[in-house]
Amino acid sequence: MPLDRKIGYVDLSTGNIEIKPIPLEIRKKFLGGRGLDAYLLYNHTKKGVDPLGPDNVLLFSGGILTATCASATARTHVMAKSPLTGLLGSANMGGFFAPELAWAGFHHIVIKGKARKPVYLWIHNGEIEIRDAKNIWGRTVTDSQWAIRDELGDEEVKCAVCGPAGENLVRFANVMTGIKNSAGRTGMGCVMGSKNLKALAARGTMDIKIAHPTEALEFNKRFIDQIVSAKVNQTQGTLGTPFIWGATNSWGGIRCRNFQLNQCEYADDIEPERLDEIATETIGPYHMTGCFGCQVHCRAQYRIPSGPYAGRYDEGPEYTSQGAFGGEPDCKNAVTVLTGNHLVDQFGMDNLETGSLISWAMELYELGILTQKETDGLDLRFGNDEALLEMIERICYRKGWLGDTLADGGIPASEKIGKNSFDYLIQVKGMSNLHSDERATPALALGIATGSRGSDHLRSRPAIDLYHLPEEVLRKIYGTPVPYDGPLSSEHTAYEGKPWQVFWQENCYMGVDCLGICKYHTTFLGATLPNFEDWSRVLYYNTGLEMTPREIWDVAERCYNIERLFNLREGLKRDNPKKGDTLNHRYFDEPCKLGAPDVVGRTIDREKFQKMIDEYYEHHGWDSDGVPLPETLKRLGLENEPSHLL
Amino acid sequence: MEPNGKVLYINYEKCTGCRLCELVCSVVHDGVSNPARSRIRVMKWEAEGLYIPMSCQQCQDAPCMNVCPVKAISRDETLERVMVDYDKCIGCRSCVAVCPFGAMSFDTVDKKVFKCDVCDGDPQCVRFCEEKAVDYVDARELGTLKKRDAARRISIAGKEAAVLLAQA
Amino acid sequence: MAMEKEGLSTAESLRKTRTYGKFRCHNPSCMGRLQPKAGEKQVKCPVCGMEYRVHWIRPDFPRIRGPVWDVNRKIAQEALAKKEGKEDATR
Repeated sequence: MPLDRKIGYVDLSTGNIEIKPIPLEIRKKFLGGRGLDAYLLYNHTKKGVDPLGPDNVLLFSGGILTATCASATARTHVMAKSPLTGLLGSANMGGFFAPELAWAGFHHIVIKGKARKPVYLWIHNGEIEIRDAKNIWGRTVTDSQWAIRDELGDEEVKCAVCGPAGENLVRFANVMTGIKNSAGRTGMGCVMGSKNLKALAARGTMDIKIAHPTEALEFNKRFIDQIVSAKVNQTQGTLGTPFIWGATNSWGGIRCRNFQLNQCEYADDIEPERLDEIATETIGPYHMTGCFGCQVHCRAQYRIPSGPYAGRYDEGPEYTSQGAFGGEPDCKNAVTVLTGNHLVDQFGMDNLETGSLISWAMELYELGILTQKETDGLDLRFGNDEALLEMIERICYRKGWLGDTLADGGIPASEKIGKNSFDYLIQVKGMSNLHSDERATPALALGIATGSRGSDHLRSRPAIDLYHLPEEVLRKIYGTPVPYDGPLSSEHTAYEGKPWQVFWQENCYMGVDCLGICKYHTTFLGATLPNFEDWSRVLYYNTGLEMTPREIWDVAERCYNIERLFNLREGLKRDNPKKGDTLNHRYFDEPCKLGAPDVVGRTIDREKFQKMIDEYYEHHGWDSDGVPLPETLKRLGLENEPSHLL
Repeated sequence: MEPNGKVLYINYEKCTGCRLCELVCSVVHDGVSNPARSRIRVMKWEAEGLYIPMSCQQCQDAPCMNVCPVKAISRDETLERVMVDYDKCIGCRSCVAVCPFGAMSFDTVDKKVFKCDVCDGDPQCVRFCEEKAVDYVDARELGTLKKRDAARRISIAGKEAAVLLAQA
Repeated sequence: MAMEKEGLSTAESLRKTRTYGKFRCHNPSCMGRLQPKAGEKQVKCPVCGMEYRVHWIRPDFPRIRGPVWDVNRKIAQEALAKKEGKEDATR
């Protein structure tokens, strides 16, 4: 029968391996992927566990639909307690790893303990083996993967690896697969490094059974038609995620010079169209590539056109790299963005965190809080492209005082640097913000402030808020699968109704993360993309599991509450500036200076922001401290957590 | 029935490497998701971003057909395809060994060889490939399509050469 | 259990609301619909005066590439001066 994928428990300290089925009642409660990972993390870790110690648990998973005949089920989810934030660590990547893991017989891998020497896991047709990684340790992200293929004598092996950054315990190191696919937030690669775990290598030729193959195939076609006909995906399929830059920078929604400006002016060289030209020049007219089973193909291929890394092949850059190595440090050169992107891909570290922290250091340097003494002679002013690229390498290899300091993450770095450096650190819960500027968009500001993995645009961002959709369209979207008749506003500078949108998007993104589908296939960047109702069908045709849209919503809410319980257990407090649902004071105090006339002068209103938080907690059934009420836990069947069922 | 004269036409430059064709093929033929059972496979050189879908060429003078000791393989002229008669097939895998394209595979679950049957004239890999990296075209047009592609490339190369000359 | 398997979902029913060939002015208080002429490289919002550079995804599919920097910078500076002036007046 379908849904026969297993969960593998690996103890790296003892070498013990255990394989268990996933009971149907667990599936119905948590589906799989991120949701089931959250359940496992909460159940298998104790309060205050050291993120870099053997008792932290590292989870890899595919969603319940991974490798089925559903569209774009390419996502791999990775979870553990975060060494960057001390709270929930959770990251998600595309590529081909999770489907291969599923064909190899597994949907979930739970890794405990710490290996005495570097190892990797070889996961092959129902079996898991711990292998010596002495020939692979120390290698870059791509070299590691090719070396594993050589060693196993199989070119079809798919790997999830940590790069040198993970080995060096950079707190924001990625787990990566392929050329650039990154589980890139909260330092999951660092947890790999701490366990002496270099890689998971998967290869499988086992059937994934489909409950209703003909219907699943036809529904997939319908799903794909809906997805590829969306304007947003046609744009993505041509320009990749950099397309967002054009849409955001033109009205003044890009952080520039850390947080000094809200627009990166005259940055024509790093505009998506320019990056597209470079891809065309260096690769050819067909330079877009995609993840498993996805027709959006949002990723460009390129070679670096000039400079010290000229000719190197990579993929991307994504919107994030444009901001991290272009807008934030104010380095407006395509070659710098492409090179920075290549370096973090090879080192295996979070482009967003890296670029944000360097830009923060640049601001501190210009303010005199950091001097050439701390930078080891590096002239770390804004717009110094060479210094930016040099800092990326120094962080990965912890070279020099500042490289080593920034590698520990923003909050520990601010404590080491001292003075008022923390005031300039653009973070939430210890994780840096994306380079988007949310001062003109309260809904987006609320989203990053409350995200369960710290500041993040992929937990609850109501990005369609920027499209000024008519209210009746908003009602259609945000009024299903649970009725909502409170306020909703088409105006993205408004505060009314935004908490509900954030709450709805949270459940929507949790939903796709449990299913294993990409967010570009749901209500994220496009308003007409599939969500709960469509998932109910796709789930039934592929797995035979009959769940109503409302029941999938309930799963999402349940899983989000487990993440909340984990965060509360690990010290989340509503107003704690380092561990709370808060924003840097600059959002409230410094008005936007550039952009569209209506954006100029905008700040987030402190009082209205707190009111949004109150309202957001109410939608969740949480008290005014953001703690789930007993009746909420009972409603979601979470009153006995941790319940240790799996 | 009149021959439809159509053949599978693979333009690997357009392939994004998503492998949806593999997924669809195994679901259509075997009711399961498993690229190992797919008749079409995307060969990849990830380090340089090169993806090449490979499938049966439905050869006229097919080596698999010639090598088969029990004459289980024949040509179906109506659909321009090479077919395996499973009543005759003894599972010796001679055809797998001899195929110059690796297009004949052996299914270790069902213990039989398998190859592309162009889905009886409506290839599903083509239906699902939005890029048309895999297409199903009139065999007579094949040369023309190739000519157009080549001509375009020559024209671009010519223009680039002119620019380089002008810059020199 | 009720399993609704037929009919259009909300997302599918919203498909007809897609508007090809147009985009909205990026000034939040304006958001006027702009429809550049085929192949046009620049477009000026008749309502608020913002000017944008246009990129064509396809011959029938335009998008905003970015602002016309000099024009929009001037508009932003005027808006800032006006707002700061207002703030001072209320103090």
